[in-house]
Amino acid sequence: MKFLKPLFTLVLFVVIAGTENLQAQDYYAYVAAESEDMVHLIHFNAETQQATIAETIEVGRYPTETDGPHGITVAPDGKHWFVSIAHGNPYGMLAKYSTETNKLVSTTDLGMFPASMEISEVTGLLYVVNFNLHGEMKPSSVSVVEPESMTRITDIETGIMPHGSRIGASGKYQYHVSMMTDELIQINTQTLEVSKRFKLSETKGGMSGHKDMDHSKMEHKPVEKPTWAHPHPTKPLIYVAANGSDELLEINTKKWEITQRYKTGKAPYNLEVTPDGKYVVVTYKGEGATGIWDLEEGKEVAKIENSRKVSHGVTISPDSKYAFISVEGIGGEPGSVEVINLQTLERVDVVETGKQAGGIYFWKQS
Amino acid sequence: MKKYSTTLFSALLILMTGLSPQLQAQDAEENNSHTVVTAPSSLHLEIGEEVQLTGHVEDAEGNIVSDSLIFFTRARRSLQITTDGKIKALKPGSFTVIARSIQGGWQDAPRTNVPVQVAYPPVAEVSLNGIPNNLYAGTSLPVKVLIEDTMGEMRTNVDYTISSSKPSIATVDNFDNLQLHQPGTFTLTLQAEDQSSSITKKVQQNPTAELALSHNYTHKTVRTGDVVQFNAQAKTAGGSAVQDAPITYSYIGEPNDDLGHGSIAQIEQDGRFVANKPGKYTVMAKSGNTFVEHTFRAVPRNVQQEIEVVGQGLVSHTRTSDLWIWEGVDGRDYAVTGTWGGNGEAIFWDVTDPKNITAIDTVTVDARTVNDVKVNERGDIAVITREGASNRKNGIIILDVTDPSNVEILSEYNKDLTGGVHNTFIYEDHVYAVNNGRRYDIINIEDPRNPYTVNKFELGTPGHSIHDVWIEDGIAYSSNWSDGVVAVDIGSKNSAEMPGANGSPENPVQLGSYAYPSGWNHAAFPFKSESTGDFYVVAGDESFPYGLDTNGANRAAGWVHFIKFDDWGSPKEVARYKVPEAGSHNYWIEGDKLYAAFYNGGLRVVDISGELMGDLYEQGREIASFFPRDNEAFIPNATFTWGPQPYKGYIYLSDWNSGLWALKLKDNNANGTD
Repeated sequence: MKFLKPLFTLVLFVVIAGTENLQAQDYYAYVAAESEDMVHLIHFNAETQQATIAETIEVGRYPTETDGPHGITVAPDGKHWFVSIAHGNPYGMLAKYSTETNKLVSTTDLGMFPASMEISEVTGLLYVVNFNLHGEMKPSSVSVVEPESMTRITDIETGIMPHGSRIGASGKYQYHVSMMTDELIQINTQTLEVSKRFKLSETKGGMSGHKDMDHSKMEHKPVEKPTWAHPHPTKPLIYVAANGSDELLEINTKKWEITQRYKTGKAPYNLEVTPDGKYVVVTYKGEGATGIWDLEEGKEVAKIENSRKVSHGVTISPDSKYAFISVEGIGGEPGSVEVINLQTLERVDVVETGKQAGGIYFWKQS
Repeated sequence: MKKYSTTLFSALLILMTGLSPQLQAQDAEENNSHTVVTAPSSLHLEIGEEVQLTGHVEDAEGNIVSDSLIFFTRARRSLQITTDGKIKALKPGSFTVIARSIQGGWQDAPRTNVPVQVAYPPVAEVSLNGIPNNLYAGTSLPVKVLIEDTMGEMRTNVDYTISSSKPSIATVDNFDNLQLHQPGTFTLTLQAEDQSSSITKKVQQNPTAELALSHNYTHKTVRTGDVVQFNAQAKTAGGSAVQDAPITYSYIGEPNDDLGHGSIAQIEQDGRFVANKPGKYTVMAKSGNTFVEHTFRAVPRNVQQEIEVVGQGLVSHTRTSDLWIWEGVDGRDYAVTGTWGGNGEAIFWDVTDPKNITAIDTVTVDARTVNDVKVNERGDIAVITREGASNRKNGIIILDVTDPSNVEILSEYNKDLTGGVHNTFIYEDHVYAVNNGRRYDIINIEDPRNPYTVNKFELGTPGHSIHDVWIEDGIAYSSNWSDGVVAVDIGSKNSAEMPGANGSPENPVQLGSYAYPSGWNHAAFPFKSESTGDFYVVAGDESFPYGLDTNGANRAAGWVHFIKFDDWGSPKEVARYKVPEAGSHNYWIEGDKLYAAFYNGGLRVVDISGELMGDLYEQGREIASFFPRDNEAFIPNATFTWGPQPYKGYIYLSDWNSGLWALKLKDNNANGTD
């Protein structure tokens, strides 16, 4: 019966999308304020179209050091949320919190500057990239964590500055990008091995690298500087934010080739495909804006200015109605979460957060 | 049509939402009825032994439903394990390996625990040590037991016995003290597992007939905290010295009050004694049945002085971090303070008249935290550090502070420094920048508009980390958390207290190091005692074991460790200054005074004159304390002192919540005795 679950989930999304009478009113997402060592629980009331901070949770280890909460995710059953703490002595860590109480449950050490992550519903394991943002130009890893016992099971060597860990709809593959080697990397969530390395910049027609290639000898002059990968919910497509070339890339994972290159706003950073597969929402870090791309039409249907600079993350409600955008701000300026109505393609509210709002993940709608 | 489709969708939705929990429940039920079976079900391994664990998932009827398992453990430093079940035992002990279905999904994935026992390696060699050639009846002395296993590890957890061939002559008690009862020859045998070692010795008649006790405080008043060196001389009946007579020292103390003191004094077996509390003390020296004693009084150290606030530069819009005070090229006195978790500001102050501290300029850079601020020896160049830059390229900013009222940014340097620079030191036109908590980069700033990196220094220990670096006489003293303090020659001067190793900024050479178990080493400061000439490196902790509250008062832990270096190879931790319920941060030593910031414990000024031994806080060495607080502070009335700097007779300090302060010790009551 397990195979039926994704199918039912998919049908459920379709049904929800087509049903106007049954509307959720309350939407909740967690967002990390990286330079404030805080995580906020954001509540958005669809009736009033207003967002508020429902709760603020202090995270980290040292009150006099900025520990840097960066990536965030929520368990499939919604009972726990997880945040990666970028800095440590010297390693970062993963912290697990209860969504019921927002209290710390457990931690485990990770690698250097752990960042984005997600949990596979098939394996129940959490896959977190060790971004090693400020480290040497050498391959880093994806740490695999068993979230119940909070045990770091293994580290899978991957590219240089890996980022944007997202699990495909089947739960069988994790996708991330290697920022400094211009690669899209696929990990088999069950064998815990890199199953595909796909070079993004060498050929427009697409050329896949072999998983056994010696990347240590590669010359690191990234062109695309990819920063995020997100799988399409129903099609064998991965969308990649090419931060260095101002492009949105579409990669077909059946053929392993780049099937679309869209020119975007400046420095696309994070992105997410709506659960109904209609749009991909892209943050433009370099211009403080968010682009909404219609995937059928293959064009940007809206570019929405953010309330401040340095746009960062995006998470979308399961009913595909709202996108929640985190925006970092600069210096002492507060960060923000900006709510975009994906039906009207308009920003409906902005809520200010702690400094450098970054990792953001949807929790629940009710 | 729309109405029809909506009704259909609604019906489908109800169907699906009704089914979804059933599916999840069914998954969980399936998982609950499945079990993981491993072969073997438990393991007993030797160190270095490798084994392959296998397993599968069974249903309630015992049918194999899956063979896809992952194996893992939280004891990764003791068991090397791969996800497919290959295990290698690295360390002895009891551990658990978890075998879990890889396809079990999120809820209740089938799993089982596999207990693993890794045996200690067998004992390879044992020996008894520390027993001198001449043994005297009636005396006792400790023997040292050494047990080494086949892996070359020295073991302290092995049961052993020490037996004497002639118990009437000599025995060893349960605390490994060799008791010498009468003259004669005996053999001691140490046995551990199947290894043994014997040593034969001869006990002589004790020639000691008399003990004489002298000390180095003759005609001097002993104060609390003064280290008195006692020296017992054993003599024969004829008056000859017995050089190798074993002597033990002890004391009896009667404090001046009966207020339930704890330890009132401390004595070492080399004869050094220090009183924590004033009172009457009798120090005794014993050799066999012969003993001698000396009674004296220890008086209060009486070094307390009043401290007064001279001026304040309130910073209320953000938190304040480090400070630096210097004499400007115009002869006036200036200060710069950093800011934490704010808008990337460094604030410049005119402190020429410390009664009227005046902010004269603010430099704002793209950062959230300017943690550290330093000014060079000439007073014309400053360096500030950046963390939280919006482009994530942090590094350092080099400033022209020739006119501190109009500070000019000369350059921004972030080559290989993008991870954030937490602390720096400027020394002879080079910046030593603590880089991303891993190492310090050495940057030439002879041309401050065109800095360049000349080298770096990084430890090679596993998981190494660094917090701060301080330089004196061409030797860099870094603080490295669990790796402790590390001294590196970066151009050692003749004036340095310890020899160098021909190092330079381009060729930093490690000289010595000292680590302590807590791993809290956060700061380091070298000093030569003005009163004794002894050389110390003072290592400060930082720790927050009580959690954090960024909007209220916080409580830190940790203390200041005094490490005496007679040479680079034999550091010894000899004393501590620990404030109850507070924790150390930054500090400074000038003359024989320690100025220490203790976060919620405020500023402490401590007399560190004379030899240092034991608990300096308990010895009444604290000269003064001050708790900066202000009802208009960033967090009102919440002391959280960051760092001090003595300068031209004043004590400047930065406080996280309230900014910059100038204080002065009053010239009263420093007579040293009661």
